[in-house]
Amino acid sequence: MKKVSWVEVRGWSLTSPYLVFTLIFFIIPLVWGIALLFTHWNLMSPTREFVGLGNFIEAVKSARVHAAFVNTYKIMGIFIPTVIVASLSIALLINSIPRFKGVIAVCFFLPYLVSGVASSLVVKGILAYNSPLSPLFRALFHDIPDWLGNPFLAIIVICLMITWKLSGYYALIFLSGLSSIPKTLYEAAEIDGAGFWTKLFKITIPMLYPAFYTVLILAVGLSFGIFTEPYMLTGGGPQLATHTWYLEIYYQAFSAGRAGYASTVALINAVVTFFSIIVVRKVMERWGKAHGWQ
Amino acid sequence: MVGSKTWTNSFKYVLVIIGISIAVFPYVYMVLQSLAPWNQVDRNIIPTTFTLKSYHWLFYGSPVVRAKPWGRALLNSTIVSVSDTILMVLMAAIVGYALSKLRFRGRDTIYNFILFQMFYPAIILLVPTFLIVKAMGMYNTYWGMIIPKAMSIWAIFMYTSFFKSVPQEVIDSARVDGASELRIIFRIALPISRSITTVVALFLFMSRWEELLWDMMVVRSDTLRTLNVMIATMKGPYSVYPGPMYAASVLLTLPVLIVFLIFSKEFAKGIKLVFK
Repeated sequence: MKKVSWVEVRGWSLTSPYLVFTLIFFIIPLVWGIALLFTHWNLMSPTREFVGLGNFIEAVKSARVHAAFVNTYKIMGIFIPTVIVASLSIALLINSIPRFKGVIAVCFFLPYLVSGVASSLVVKGILAYNSPLSPLFRALFHDIPDWLGNPFLAIIVICLMITWKLSGYYALIFLSGLSSIPKTLYEAAEIDGAGFWTKLFKITIPMLYPAFYTVLILAVGLSFGIFTEPYMLTGGGPQLATHTWYLEIYYQAFSAGRAGYASTVALINAVVTFFSIIVVRKVMERWGKAHGWQ
Repeated sequence: MVGSKTWTNSFKYVLVIIGISIAVFPYVYMVLQSLAPWNQVDRNIIPTTFTLKSYHWLFYGSPVVRAKPWGRALLNSTIVSVSDTILMVLMAAIVGYALSKLRFRGRDTIYNFILFQMFYPAIILLVPTFLIVKAMGMYNTYWGMIIPKAMSIWAIFMYTSFFKSVPQEVIDSARVDGASELRIIFRIALPISRSITTVVALFLFMSRWEELLWDMMVVRSDTLRTLNVMIATMKGPYSVYPGPMYAASVLLTLPVLIVFLIFSKEFAKGIKLVFK
């Protein structure tokens, strides 16, 4: 009996920092957030107006929310295939070289350390009209594209920036997956005369299934939370082409001062994120089961 | 004799060099532009002469523009990121130990709730958390930046799973010797998982260092702003001074790079365990 209470006391007292923190910064905001959904409130005034479902109706009809919704999927459509090809290539390359693997993997990880604020300044600089890269662009495209002023190009620029930042990080996930593939599989395939591509598609990619799963979930989650790059480079423009969920929430809460509406947009974003991740997981699991990979 | 294997390998190293050049290009560009004379910034990749004018301007201003407290901003970033990283690691180690090594009633409920929080999009809590911070009088203070970010659910989850591999006999014999639970955590469990701690602490430090949204929301005074926020809020009027902005970016990037390089060996070891 005494032994039991000892464990109880230790257990609860050691977890108490978590419990207190969760109460103040999770449970209370959660309840407060639900109350906010149904009000108009500018963060300052003592009066809050009850508006029922008014915030939801406005958000569902808002062109800005539509833009954030659509753009996130556009970003995923460009960013995810690009980052997977880039990070998998980096991982395969590092895995196949005889020496300096560790140092090279660390070098490819370095972009992850650069704050989006700093990389945005660099991108703004090199894409400026008279930048040192403009002769290159002129040679390639005959003219200097208006990178951040063209709706299509602006979103590509932002996708390439996040691809640059995350490729080395995701490559580490693929590398650790590659290291657990038994060498004998490749040897057996070589005896059967399999070439590079056959081995890639029949052995490497199926065996990397868990790594693909992790990378995909990380990338989808990340796509819903993009803020810094468009905030620094485009402010969501041109014509809302790079507008994102976080930009809209930040703008509504702190520039327009509409706490209730911003919370509503945040809730819609959370629900959309949640269902998107569920869909991705279900698809990946079904795909994995169909091929017997998991 | 040069075989085809040597050729393939040389080709691979050429690809590696091209890849790394792309990866580090912004670093190099940032440093070169911060040292360029102002009429050459964003005009030449490698300036014809080098000058510290941009750095001087940043800290001392000019007759026309008063200097912003950039040194202070760098200090603020350091204070906020270092204290949050320490708090996040300590809290995660203590809670992770309790959840993995103590069988108390309610443990599974707490663990399940942690899993729920991990997949719960934090964005819904953004505005109400801001209101709580304001109500607690932490708006526009260091506390407002530090306290709400002092716990990482991800780190707790990591430690809970890694501490499971700490042998129970080691813990039991320490208890027989009269060691307290905190002593066991800090003298046994944490030292055993040193590479994991390096990876967890580095990821926490990096993401705290480049936090923009929250720090921008809770702080209004120039003297409290982190370096990241300071640069981000300068983009309008300061865009006519690209040289100093590159200098500020170098100040923002260098500390993270140095911290990372110091621990990169341990990081390389730990990262393999993290993605297992």
